[in-house]
Amino acid sequence: MNFFSLIHVEFKKIRRSKILLLLLAAVIILWVPSILNASVNFNIQDIGISPENNFLIQGFLGMSWFLFPASMVACTVLLNQTERGNNGILKMLALPVNTAKLCIAKFTVLLSLAAAQILMSVGMYFISAAIASQTQHYPFLLSPTFVLKEAGLIFLASVPMITFFQALSVCIRTPVFSVGIGLASIVPSVLMINTKAWFAWPMSYPLFIITSEYGKLASSMDASRIEWIPWIPVAAIFTVVCFLLSCFCFGRAERK
Amino acid sequence: MSFSLECKKIKRTGFLPAFLGGGLLSAMFPLINMAVRAEVYVGTGGSPISVLLDANWQMMAMLNMLILITVSCIIYHTEYADNAIQKMCTFPIRESRLYFGKMILTLILLVLILAIQGLAVGFCSFHWFEPSPELMPQLLKTFGFLMLLSVPAALLSLFIASVCKNMWISLGVGIVCVFTASMLPPDNFILSLFPFALPFQIPVGMESGALSFFGTGNGTFSLYFIVVIAEVLVLCFAEILFLKIRRSFE
Repeated sequence: MNFFSLIHVEFKKIRRSKILLLLLAAVIILWVPSILNASVNFNIQDIGISPENNFLIQGFLGMSWFLFPASMVACTVLLNQTERGNNGILKMLALPVNTAKLCIAKFTVLLSLAAAQILMSVGMYFISAAIASQTQHYPFLLSPTFVLKEAGLIFLASVPMITFFQALSVCIRTPVFSVGIGLASIVPSVLMINTKAWFAWPMSYPLFIITSEYGKLASSMDASRIEWIPWIPVAAIFTVVCFLLSCFCFGRAERK
Repeated sequence: MSFSLECKKIKRTGFLPAFLGGGLLSAMFPLINMAVRAEVYVGTGGSPISVLLDANWQMMAMLNMLILITVSCIIYHTEYADNAIQKMCTFPIRESRLYFGKMILTLILLVLILAIQGLAVGFCSFHWFEPSPELMPQLLKTFGFLMLLSVPAALLSLFIASVCKNMWISLGVGIVCVFTASMLPPDNFILSLFPFALPFQIPVGMESGALSFFGTGNGTFSLYFIVVIAEVLVLCFAEILFLKIRRSFE
């Protein structure tokens, strides 16, 4: 089996999982309050950000703080349970396929789900911005390249976090601990982005990126600058370690 | 019988360590916050408990809710994972007994972790603030009230977990509900009655039985009490009804 057919199989496995519906529901709930409270965007003159930028950034802040990371934890549960329910993993391990390859295929599916949720939230942004423009008689729509750039930044910044969740779900066999640790690690990220050591906490990267974009767009807020030098090496090392760990541990307990 | 059976079922699921570990983690928030930057909070005036809750409770409540959702997913996952629920259904007991057994277990542990968190807040008030004689009754009242407000959230997360046979769906729905609760505008009384939004309400000013709340302002103790009782009754009734309907379609 080559790698692409493995990915194809993994996608087939989650076909009836309703996960996309769940991710879509989360995204809709994210943007509905923004439409209802669209008039709030005009009362922020003292921060010095334009209403249309504020509309986008507030939505993305809500997403990158809690909704997106927590949805990714739910996705790792999905990928894990489709294998472990009814011992499907034993059949996969009986095939002449490298387990690391299987793990990478699963990781690719997880990344695609992450990308799907971000793209859905971009789509919902355009719909809700169009509705808000109608109700408030003010053009809230921003240029698609700018919105996609911000969304792309969130996606790239979330890769270390997603590898961490994948490693958690592969290495810790008791689901309550992998889910519990994953969810508990999200909560402190709102504290971590205000400290000097934010780069040591991968769960805060997406939130930090969006906060620093917020600082750039708002003239009277002092932006928390991105320091590339400690960040990129730390993130890269963290990602590689988690990735190798999950490839190494995949299917290990079942083969004993 | 049902309750002791539930206690045996959770033995190797990691339910207890996850619940207690999460509760302890949440109790660490005020301790760490005070240890790192006590000078921000000490001179602000107001009763120590309301200062501490104002600074930390949003995070603590968030973590408590995530614990509740995770453990309810697990406690029902043990039933659904290997079709154990079918065996339970062949016993001469009502299926809703399962729900009530799990409910009692969850509520006991919820009271336990909230007591631990109350101790942490009490320790912070004694250690960093000036101790006053009315601190103890105020602490008991506040945390008793917070326990009461957390009950509907526990029941609703168990209800969601019992409805969905796949763990990721119940987890995902729970996460979406917590997110909705955290997005709700803080000054709306009606919206604050959503079961997942209730634990985020903080009681302040406990004089003469009447409570005022951060943000809401117009909610009183007795009103919240009645709402919690009503939500508990509605959720129990909904669970019984749902199980009867599902049974008749299987």
